[in-house]
Amino acid sequence: MTYHLPSCQKMSANKENNLVQAYVELNKFCQNGDYERALKAAGKVLQISPNEQKAFHCKVVCFIHLHNFKEALSVLCNPKNAALASDLVFEKAYSQYRLNCPKDALDTVDSASELTPALKELRAQILYRLEQYQECFNLYRDIVKNTDDDYEDERKANLSAVVANLAAINQSADLPTFE
Amino acid sequence: LPPPMEAVPCKPLFFDLACNFIEFPNLDDKTGAANNKKQGAGLTG
Repeated sequence: MTYHLPSCQKMSANKENNLVQAYVELNKFCQNGDYERALKAAGKVLQISPNEQKAFHCKVVCFIHLHNFKEALSVLCNPKNAALASDLVFEKAYSQYRLNCPKDALDTVDSASELTPALKELRAQILYRLEQYQECFNLYRDIVKNTDDDYEDERKANLSAVVANLAAINQSADLPTFE
Repeated sequence: LPPPMEAVPCKPLFFDLACNFIEFPNLDDKTGAANNKKQGAGLTG
């Protein structure tokens, strides 16, 4: 018994060290936007320690940046990854949205416990895709009012697109004007 | 015979802004960077 303890400790320390090294590598590729290599590095972390939520999160982000939405959704929906994926509601809904499944995406967004700014922005885009223009308009008005970022012009363009569609559907509607 | 020309509204521009929220998590606590920062703060007060 006395011999086992030190060897176990050594193994555990080695593993810990390998894990940190793998994360350092992963962090490097994440920061310079090398998604292919980051994906491999995330896999390495998960090989050492399969329950690493942050590495799993990185893996999903890599798939999305590589436009591999099918694979992103597949790992997020795999029952084996249920615990790792539970916080990645936005990533799941975004993948569904990009795979042309706006109904599924809306269900996913509405299953979230809290409507974060990211989920709100995505929800508005999903409603547009679903041609639910009135609800989409209301949501965009709320987002535009409460957001301060570098994309105000693009967001106003989106709002204009919603208004244009509302006008096309209902010519007599009392539509907002832009001053 | 082709039908007469007719003006139709153009498809409006619509931007994907949600994609800007797809971000990597902060890994400082996993790489030991958080510890180094703490030490640095200790040294400089």
